[in-house]
Amino acid sequence: MVNYGGDEVSALVLDIGTSSIRAGYAGDDAPKAIIPTSFGYTEDVNEEADVSMTDANKESEGTAGDASVGANAPSSSKKVKLYIGQHGPSLFRPNMQVGNPISNGLVEDFAPIPALVRNVLEDNLRCNPAEHPILVTEQAWNTADRRERMAEIMFEEFQAPAFYIANTGVLNAFAAGKGTALVIDIGHSEASVTPVVDGFVLRKGLAHSSLPQFVRAHAKHMLSTPTQSRQAIQLLPHQLIANKRPVADTVQPIFTLREDRVAAVTPTWRQWYEDHEVDEWIMSVAAVVDQGWNEQLVAQRPQRPYEFPTGYNQWFGVERFMVGEQYFTHAPGLVQSNPNIPKTIPNLIAQSLSASDPDLRAVLLSNIVLCGGGSLLAGLGDRLHNELARNFPHMKIHAPGNPTERRYGGWLGGSILASLGTFHQLWISREEWQAYYIPFSLYFRNMDGLS
Amino acid sequence: MASGVQADEDCVKAFNDLKLQRQYKYIVYALSPDNKSIVVSEKVQQDSSKPNREFYDEFVAKLPTDEPRYGIFDFEFEKEDGSGKRNRIVFVNWAPDTSGIKKKMVYSSSKDALRRGLVGVQVDVQATDPDEASYENVLEKCDRLR
Repeated sequence: MVNYGGDEVSALVLDIGTSSIRAGYAGDDAPKAIIPTSFGYTEDVNEEADVSMTDANKESEGTAGDASVGANAPSSSKKVKLYIGQHGPSLFRPNMQVGNPISNGLVEDFAPIPALVRNVLEDNLRCNPAEHPILVTEQAWNTADRRERMAEIMFEEFQAPAFYIANTGVLNAFAAGKGTALVIDIGHSEASVTPVVDGFVLRKGLAHSSLPQFVRAHAKHMLSTPTQSRQAIQLLPHQLIANKRPVADTVQPIFTLREDRVAAVTPTWRQWYEDHEVDEWIMSVAAVVDQGWNEQLVAQRPQRPYEFPTGYNQWFGVERFMVGEQYFTHAPGLVQSNPNIPKTIPNLIAQSLSASDPDLRAVLLSNIVLCGGGSLLAGLGDRLHNELARNFPHMKIHAPGNPTERRYGGWLGGSILASLGTFHQLWISREEWQAYYIPFSLYFRNMDGLS
Repeated sequence: MASGVQADEDCVKAFNDLKLQRQYKYIVYALSPDNKSIVVSEKVQQDSSKPNREFYDEFVAKLPTDEPRYGIFDFEFEKEDGSGKRNRIVFVNWAPDTSGIKKKMVYSSSKDALRRGLVGVQVDVQATDPDEASYENVLEKCDRLR
């Protein structure tokens, strides 16, 4: 076993999510570098324009040139130029496509991962990955071959001296001071319920669904459908708007489009900005009613104003609660017509509990840990409490009040774990990896039962 | 998943003295200041003239309000159905919500290193506030056991 300089391992912690990639030094209270996981790319015709965007441009052609990149894989013969980081997908570039390697919480496309990791570690954190052990987080439903691929990238691509992969459910439970807990994690694309017992995930009790994506789709549909009191809202980003004039609420907006840009918008970028506008709206005004759905009570709740980039503005009342309600109940008609509809949070919890040992249910219910950025939606915690208290009088929810702890709980847990001097004996070193490369997948498969 | 922290030899020894010799009434374990091992921070002699309740209150008072601890308590009580006196060895994992996240993390990820060595614990209590570690709560848990 290699000694990584005693206690001073200065390990790196990397948490790859659907919306952002978090990286930083173990021992810190919050990730130092956060970049969006979505990236822009153009199939390069020629080196043109845009050279001033040094930061975003760092990753240029070559990094992913050999293989398919992005969801709509561009053909391998063309040169692909990637735009990663804060100035990645959010800056307008003619004919730029947007890709995201994560699907349902797992890495679906490994081709852009090295470029993304290089950007966050080398350009944002400004460190040399070859000098630090690296701890990567994974979802409980991650697969052995993905885990193996991630190790390969860290060792081969980044020459990392040591590597460890830790489960976000366990890390969130630990960060709440619990070895045994029912971890409810609501992320950008997946909502999951993970029973953790004595630091190990109970795999059969794991339940997850793409509920947040459904909620987003619902909100998008709602906003872009006209109602009696307003017309359909155009989800246009500020990047496409040349100028706008202030208008009264619910009045047709007056704005000028940047026609030169509109023509060069790709379908994937359009998808990205529409989702982005919907997310902004959800984060600003959407909420959950604390005591179940009641049309009359909801109508009495205060309205909230929101202005879209087009200048259109409105006070949202019932609609802002309808969106949050999707986390807890689906309209019965919708369920019937669509049997594959993502499970609601109460359904996920019920599924997880019924698959867990009956003896454990009481312990799990009295140790619920609520985490993930999606759980910060106003009123969600209270509603969850009320829903569960009705059926389980002894349940107790632990929800960190600090938004950083809630949002980056997995990263934070990894940060603390990797900073412990005693943790060094658990790292998988480069030497070990090379020596056991063949049985490596077996090694990690065994971790399945342990991690 | 574990932190790699090891339990000191004394931890198990003190526990066995409590279990087999009935030498101690309760033990409080803590992490050493360098976070490398789990050590016995306090062990209190058994005294049959002192009531169980008094010991227990004393034990709970020894759990700091802003730091996690592990505890072993030799819980003595009368069965509710009147079938007589019983003893249960209780393990308390104390992690108050008010404690810093780092401390909580170290304690919860190291718990297994200690708990694994303590063979014969009958009741496990995971407590994050005084309510969950209360006498009544623990009594109920012990009483429920056959």
